[in-house]
Amino acid sequence: MSAAVAPFVAGLAARATVLASEPSVSLPTADVPTVVPPAAAILAVAIVLPVLSRKLGHALGVLATGGVSLWSLLAPAGAYLDVTFLGFDALLFNVDAFSRLMGVIFGLIGAAAVLYSYSSDASNRQTAFALGYVGTSVGAVFAGDWLTMIFFWELMAVTSTLLVWDYGGEAVRAGFRYAVYHGLGGSLLMAAIVWHYTEVGSFLFSASDGIVAGIPAALAAVGIGVNVGFVGLHTWLPDTYPRPHVAASVFLSVYTTKTGVYGLARAFPDGNLAVAYMGAAMALVGVVYALLQNDMRRLLSYHIQSQVGYMVAGVGVGTALATAGAFAHVFNHILYKALLFMTAGVVISRTGKQSLKYLGGLGRALPVTALAFTAAALSISGFPGFNGFVSKGMITAAAHKEHLDGIFYILLAAGVGTFMSFIKFGYYAFLRESDSTWAIQRSVTGQRVAMLGVATLCVLLGLYPDALFALLPGSTADAHPFTLSHLGEGFLLAALGVVGFALLKTPLSKIGNGIDVDVVIEPATFYGMRGLVRGTTELFAAVDRAVVAAASTALAAAGDPYGAIRGPAVALLGSEGESLQDGGLRATIATSVLLVVVVLAATLVGLL
Amino acid sequence: MTDAIALLVAVPIVFALFPIAFGGRWEHMGWGTAALGALVHLGLSLTVAATVLSGGRFTYAVGGYTPPFGIELVGDGVSAVLVVLTSLVTVAVVAYARRAGPHSNTFYSELLVLTAGISGVFVTGDVFNLYVFIEITGLATYALVATGRGPAAALASLKYLLVGTVGASLYLLGVGYLYVATGTLNMADLASQLSSVGYGSPLVLTGFGLIVVGLAVKAALFPLHTWQPGAYAESPDSVTAYISALVSTAAAYALFRIIYAVFTPAFDAAVPFALDALVILASVSVVVGSVLAVLQSDLKRMLAYSSVAQFGLIVAGFAIANATAVTGGLVHLIGHAVMKAGLFVGVGALAGVAGGRTVDDFAGLAERAPLVSAAFAVLAFALVGVPPAIGFAGKWHIVLGAVEGGRWGVALVAVVSTLLTLAYFARVVERMYFRDAPAPAEESVAAAADGGDAELASDGGSDGDGDASGAASDAGAEPETISMTARIIVVGAAVAAVGVGLVATDLIAVFEPVLEVYF
Repeated sequence: MSAAVAPFVAGLAARATVLASEPSVSLPTADVPTVVPPAAAILAVAIVLPVLSRKLGHALGVLATGGVSLWSLLAPAGAYLDVTFLGFDALLFNVDAFSRLMGVIFGLIGAAAVLYSYSSDASNRQTAFALGYVGTSVGAVFAGDWLTMIFFWELMAVTSTLLVWDYGGEAVRAGFRYAVYHGLGGSLLMAAIVWHYTEVGSFLFSASDGIVAGIPAALAAVGIGVNVGFVGLHTWLPDTYPRPHVAASVFLSVYTTKTGVYGLARAFPDGNLAVAYMGAAMALVGVVYALLQNDMRRLLSYHIQSQVGYMVAGVGVGTALATAGAFAHVFNHILYKALLFMTAGVVISRTGKQSLKYLGGLGRALPVTALAFTAAALSISGFPGFNGFVSKGMITAAAHKEHLDGIFYILLAAGVGTFMSFIKFGYYAFLRESDSTWAIQRSVTGQRVAMLGVATLCVLLGLYPDALFALLPGSTADAHPFTLSHLGEGFLLAALGVVGFALLKTPLSKIGNGIDVDVVIEPATFYGMRGLVRGTTELFAAVDRAVVAAASTALAAAGDPYGAIRGPAVALLGSEGESLQDGGLRATIATSVLLVVVVLAATLVGLL
Repeated sequence: MTDAIALLVAVPIVFALFPIAFGGRWEHMGWGTAALGALVHLGLSLTVAATVLSGGRFTYAVGGYTPPFGIELVGDGVSAVLVVLTSLVTVAVVAYARRAGPHSNTFYSELLVLTAGISGVFVTGDVFNLYVFIEITGLATYALVATGRGPAAALASLKYLLVGTVGASLYLLGVGYLYVATGTLNMADLASQLSSVGYGSPLVLTGFGLIVVGLAVKAALFPLHTWQPGAYAESPDSVTAYISALVSTAAAYALFRIIYAVFTPAFDAAVPFALDALVILASVSVVVGSVLAVLQSDLKRMLAYSSVAQFGLIVAGFAIANATAVTGGLVHLIGHAVMKAGLFVGVGALAGVAGGRTVDDFAGLAERAPLVSAAFAVLAFALVGVPPAIGFAGKWHIVLGAVEGGRWGVALVAVVSTLLTLAYFARVVERMYFRDAPAPAEESVAAAADGGDAELASDGGSDGDGDASGAASDAGAEPETISMTARIIVVGAAVAAVGVGLVATDLIAVFEPVLEVYF
């Protein structure tokens, strides 16, 4: 795959003159050191961070993550650091179009999030966990083989759980559930990889085209499905992400799900229709539940599922345009979703309120935050001129092109829902008149730099998508974001969103959080486990009682055989039990000879 | 040196004459003669084994008369291993009998005659000659059982005499039928003649039925086993060890030869009922024998019923009629002889220390006789079938063969019998290792009563009750210890049970050429 990048970039440059929307930038390359995997730099900072001063530690964090971003951008395509890991060939640093894009955005947003953490009073320890999480995620996306990837994948689950737990309180319970889900998902993926290895004989991505079809592919889909939040496997997501520190939420919203999308693209490079439909379902289900939420971060969390649904749909459709769209959406989504969590974090930390119900009129109190939110909300909703519009448009266009009309319309409907829920968020938080007047401290400089920087990127990439296109895998040859029909589509969805919110505002405020699959899964799991445990225990007890009873009966009979048969003998024969003396059943000589004759007779009768 | 195979029979018979002939002049010459005879026999059997190992199967025409008219002796992998086993058991039992008795010249003569008879069963290639050797074996055994003191031994001997003679006669009758059908008595010749006569012929079928039932009596399969527990339990320990190791073994071996050398697997194909019935009889024997063993409190009786079960398993292996199962049967035949002889010598030796031979008498024996107890436990677990002992190798092949042959019932029976074997041995081993010896007061009474048991007294028991031990010593109890030969034999049997298990594949390789001819 990596070898395909250079001609691909050259091809792009050649065609740039023909089509206006072709990317007109080519990637810069430079000789950057590739002797250590980029993850190592971030993990090193994570390890030393707890002993450094807050300022120095966070500065190093920003440098490391930002450096990784730059490093990823400049590193020439190819495979480096092939080692033998646990006796298998492994590739610790593999640069191709997919991993480069992931590395660039992971590093970039990592830097912004560390800066945000610094100004949001995150402790050194929390940022250390966060950097461990970032580092392992970067390790996972730069892996050149399944073994290295699952290694970092599991570590990512561990570090992110630690990041959640670090906050204590409610986050601990949610963290447990998070850990259980990711343990299960990781195990399924590992099973898939082992099976894949036995079929292919190598862990390397280059050894096969995606994961082996059949059961390994199914296992991998479900295992990765936990990470990306397949419908039914997603409940950990809105449960976990609102719990920890506001800065931790920024990190969490970025890495786990997007690494999942990346893994899905590795497992299904040619797409998979079932995955595509699952993506569409995620987009719609996520947005419906998001609409019903009042907790800001919970609302945003459901939107992660919804937006990741677009990406999963893109990977599932699998054409060059869809793949490019999926990864463009990964890039854009990370930007605006992190930005949304940052703004929500500012609101929560300043007002102390998690729920939209108790907010209002913050537009005047937190003007910069409101501005950043507006950019992010327009981006996620796919308003023309913002980055979400471009990438979302690529995915829907790809689905349309493949005549997957079901997916196409579901994604459009989800787009309307997205508009509605962010109009709701903006209206309740920033626009509507509030009874209380907010006398609160405004966002601090670090937060502003992080938020406005990311918001600027959202707008820039929305207006000038070619900058992103140069970085994308797949092909953007068919990506024409600014055609009239696409623009019309964008405006139409926005209009529908406004109308929809106006109509549904009152009913929406009366419905609760909505009943998610939790309601079924949790009791089912609880009662199922309890039933299983009780059933097993009772069965064991019953078997145990029976065995003990049988053993004691047998022991009694063995100790006194004549006594044991005396009772039945008396009942059968009606004679006195005393006649049955010990040894009385031993055959006499006459009986013995009779027995021989009987056996002989029986044998001869049988034979003849 | 193929004369050695004939001398295997002739030499013990000649040696058997000396104690009787010169017993009046030299009162204690019996043991020396028997020991010398046993050693010569060992040399001869090793010669036969070496010949077989280097040159494969060989035959020997007795008196120069060529078969099928003359008597033919056959040395092959199976018979060579068994005659070596016979020699080793004879040497061991003669050594054991020096201390344990019986101390009479006639005993040694009878033992040598028995050795001759058993050796003859193992090497003969002629069905009538086989009858002669079975009768020699039987008569010598009746006499040996009767050497036990007391009326019970005489009764057991008489019972064995009557039942055993009926069995032998049935065998002879069966041979007569076959002779009428074919006009030959040579095994190899019979095999070809029988197929031309036709396996469905009533003469052949009747002959088969008579022979198998006759040999089943001798091998003590349930319900034809009734002579066996008494004979084992009432005879002196040295006799029990010998006959448990070899007499039923000879009968089971004869059954193997009759089924495969005379009737051949083609008979099984033509008349499947014959071996099916034998499998069922053997399986019933396994289960009932094991259950009866569990019910016994007398250890010699328990081991006797255990033999009923084990021979059931061996015969089941033979009757399954595929190479794996038959191999398993033969391996278990060898293994059972080694283990059972060791166990009976062990019970005899330990009973002397314990002052009785019921299960409860053995409580706490492991402290008083650690070495022999350990060897006994090893032998017990070997017979249960714990790897890597020989008991495992035999049972494993029988179960494997049963599964290969689609006889799931036999496989199940073998597994159940393993559990039951564990049950009756675990009982004993548990008492030996995990129970305290009976209270000293009882001990001193018992010691005074039967004048033995002083090992306890001299040790003072585990309680360290000085008064009791003093009282016991005052009562004049002689200290009964386990003789060095008994220790060597029991430990040797335990080592052999494990050692042969480790080289079981080599043993099977020795059997292989014999079985290849049949399958």
